[in-house]
Amino acid sequence: MTVDWGLLAEKLPDVLAASGVTVAVWAASAVLGVALGAAVAVARRFGPRPVDLALKLFVEVLRGSPFLVQLFLLYFGGPFIGLSLDPIPAGLLALTLYGSAYYSEIVRAGFAAVPAGHVEAAACLGFTRAQTVLRIQVPEMAVLVLPALVNMTVLLLKETAVLSVITVPELTLEISAIGSETYRFVEALTLLALFYWGLVEACGGLGRLAEARLSRFRFAGP
Amino acid sequence: MTAPGESAAGGTALSVRGLVKRFGAHEVLSGIDLDVPAGRVTCLIGPSGSGKSTLLRCMAFLEEAGAGTILVGGEPLGFAETPQGRRRLPPARIRAVRASIGMVFQQFNLWPHMTALGNVTEALRVVRRMGRAEAEAKGLAQLRKVGLEDRAGHYPAQLSGGQQQRVAIARSLALEPRIMLFDEPTSSLDPELTGEVLDVMRGLAADGMTMVVVSHEIGFAASVGEQVAFLDGGRILLHGSPRDVFGKPRHPRLERFLDTYLDRGAAMLA
Amino acid sequence: MSLTLLALLVRAAGLTVAISGVSIALGLALGLFVSVASLSRRRLVSVPARVYVSFFRGVPLLVQLLLIYNLLPAAGIDVPGVVAAVVGLTLCTSAYQAENLRGGFLSVPRGLLEAADMAGLGAVQQFRRIRVPIAVALTLPTLVSEAIMILKASSLVSVVGVVELTRMAQDLASSTYRPLPMFATAGALYLAIDWTVAGLGHALERRARWGRA
Ligand SMILES: Nc1ncnc2c1ncn2[C@@H]1O[C@H](COP(=O)(O)OP(=O)(O)OP(=O)(O)O)[C@@H](O)[C@H]1O
Ligand SMILES: [Mg+2]
Repeated sequence: MTVDWGLLAEKLPDVLAASGVTVAVWAASAVLGVALGAAVAVARRFGPRPVDLALKLFVEVLRGSPFLVQLFLLYFGGPFIGLSLDPIPAGLLALTLYGSAYYSEIVRAGFAAVPAGHVEAAACLGFTRAQTVLRIQVPEMAVLVLPALVNMTVLLLKETAVLSVITVPELTLEISAIGSETYRFVEALTLLALFYWGLVEACGGLGRLAEARLSRFRFAGP
Repeated sequence: MTAPGESAAGGTALSVRGLVKRFGAHEVLSGIDLDVPAGRVTCLIGPSGSGKSTLLRCMAFLEEAGAGTILVGGEPLGFAETPQGRRRLPPARIRAVRASIGMVFQQFNLWPHMTALGNVTEALRVVRRMGRAEAEAKGLAQLRKVGLEDRAGHYPAQLSGGQQQRVAIARSLALEPRIMLFDEPTSSLDPELTGEVLDVMRGLAADGMTMVVVSHEIGFAASVGEQVAFLDGGRILLHGSPRDVFGKPRHPRLERFLDTYLDRGAAMLA
Repeated sequence: MSLTLLALLVRAAGLTVAISGVSIALGLALGLFVSVASLSRRRLVSVPARVYVSFFRGVPLLVQLLLIYNLLPAAGIDVPGVVAAVVGLTLCTSAYQAENLRGGFLSVPRGLLEAADMAGLGAVQQFRRIRVPIAVALTLPTLVSEAIMILKASSLVSVVGVVELTRMAQDLASSTYRPLPMFATAGALYLAIDWTVAGLGHALERRARWGRA
């Protein structure tokens, strides 16, 4: 396999722009997805039972069906119910909703992992429920859920490639276009794969680093 | 400080009337009446499952009783009797009454993501809105009282069980409660570590703290307790000074209980 | 939704199940092989296995599928789209299953193997009769969720032209101009399949508890 460096240099600005779209959509959907997922988890835990059940259905439907089908439903079906979105907003919305379902389950498991006694101790000391959530439960579960959060966020990065199907101008779309334009599909896709692989491994490494830092209090001393 | 036997500063710190608690169909407390005298130690003993923890947790409002009242310094805890019936008080009101109560758990329940000092200062900062410097000075003073000033920077995982429980006591004391509740504070400790925790508790008692202690340490109950209540099947079966309760002739239920629970300290009552 | 359209979707769902099922089974076999290799003390064996796992877990499945779909013809191998799809899904899931099984092998209690040693079982017998069954049982819950992942991920093979459930819904959506009911029905069919698999998985997990509570 030979790499045509001249061609690569010519296409570099487009590739950079497209990877910017990939990273931006990914970061935005991860941040929004965690926020929405946390809200869903809190509403399910502290809200009334009908709310819990309705949100459980929301979560299970999003987790049980393919992201591609959800994306098609929103992008092609949306206009029929007055929701016409451009590719990027449609992709961002679909990815955020999809991610939030998984993130909410992670946060829910986090709540369950904090022993009831730690919450009771806070209640005895006069913490309000909000204070208990923010000062005790969230920091305590942070270490426990961090690996799962990193995992899910990496999964989300890989899902962004699917957005190419509805012509979001992200990296997979751009590289495919270059590939078919230049008849160098295999080379282009190999570089693309290496890009994602590197990014995913870097994320995993960062996650492990953060975990090591956060978990110092869990190591028993002398 | 009051000498043993001398009457304490005053009155009833906490009183329980007609307390009933059910878990589903299972009635765990069936009409408990108990007065906790201020400045004294009240010990709750009884066989496993008799409802000791549940009673104590009701006093801390960690469990909501189905009927009956709990008055803390004359103020109703959790529920108030109104002409319209029993009404749940607003959360702020509950927190205010609860503020005078400290609780120490069998499992310590220290927050693992904070150091010993962090555990002690957290409520001062979050609930009392104290500045960092002031809270830390106060927290260190509390840790000194339980002999752990030099462990302030350690995480719970780096402390022994006895040390963790002493930090938990300091954490409660930092808020200056008027009543301290202890639920089997030494039961999950190795035998050689119970002494250091009991010593801290003895010190508190000597300082005139109002305490309610659930414990299988019969020796502690007999020597420090002003009054002992023996629970059985959700009722207070016997109630009085240690001499009255433990003295012979004994109630046959208590005799059976002491036989099975004849642990450290019970022998001295024989 | 007319009955004919529904029948078309259900038939396509059959292909989805078939492709996924074959890929999961092949992926389990390949994953077992890779996990054992990754646990090898010989670095010449373990390092490639770990790189394999890292690569197939690190690259989006869509990119893998596009790559395989274009690579096979470029290498002179002409196969139908379905085969390329199964190859892609198998490679991908084998990496995930290898990682799960690796965890399973590592959590087989040492004492069990020592007991097998004392009972005179040889290395191969220990592997086949003690380590593999226990490792697989320990990882059964993750195997079930991996199966559901692959069922959902199989929708991506629509992009390389295999007319499974998602592609059928897409085709019907554009020919009828009614994307909403088509994709909603496809989604519902996926849910039905996934929830069935999850239910079967739970039943299987109960059996693999060997009488424990
Ligand atoms: N949250 C709960 N739900 C249902 N039943 C409970 C709950 N908590 C306690 N019980 C039941 O209430 C009864 C009294 O329990 P409690 O913990 O008060 O006993 P105890 O006297 O403290 O016993 P021990 O000496 O073992 O600590 C027991 O039968 C117990 O099973
Ligand atoms: Mg108890």
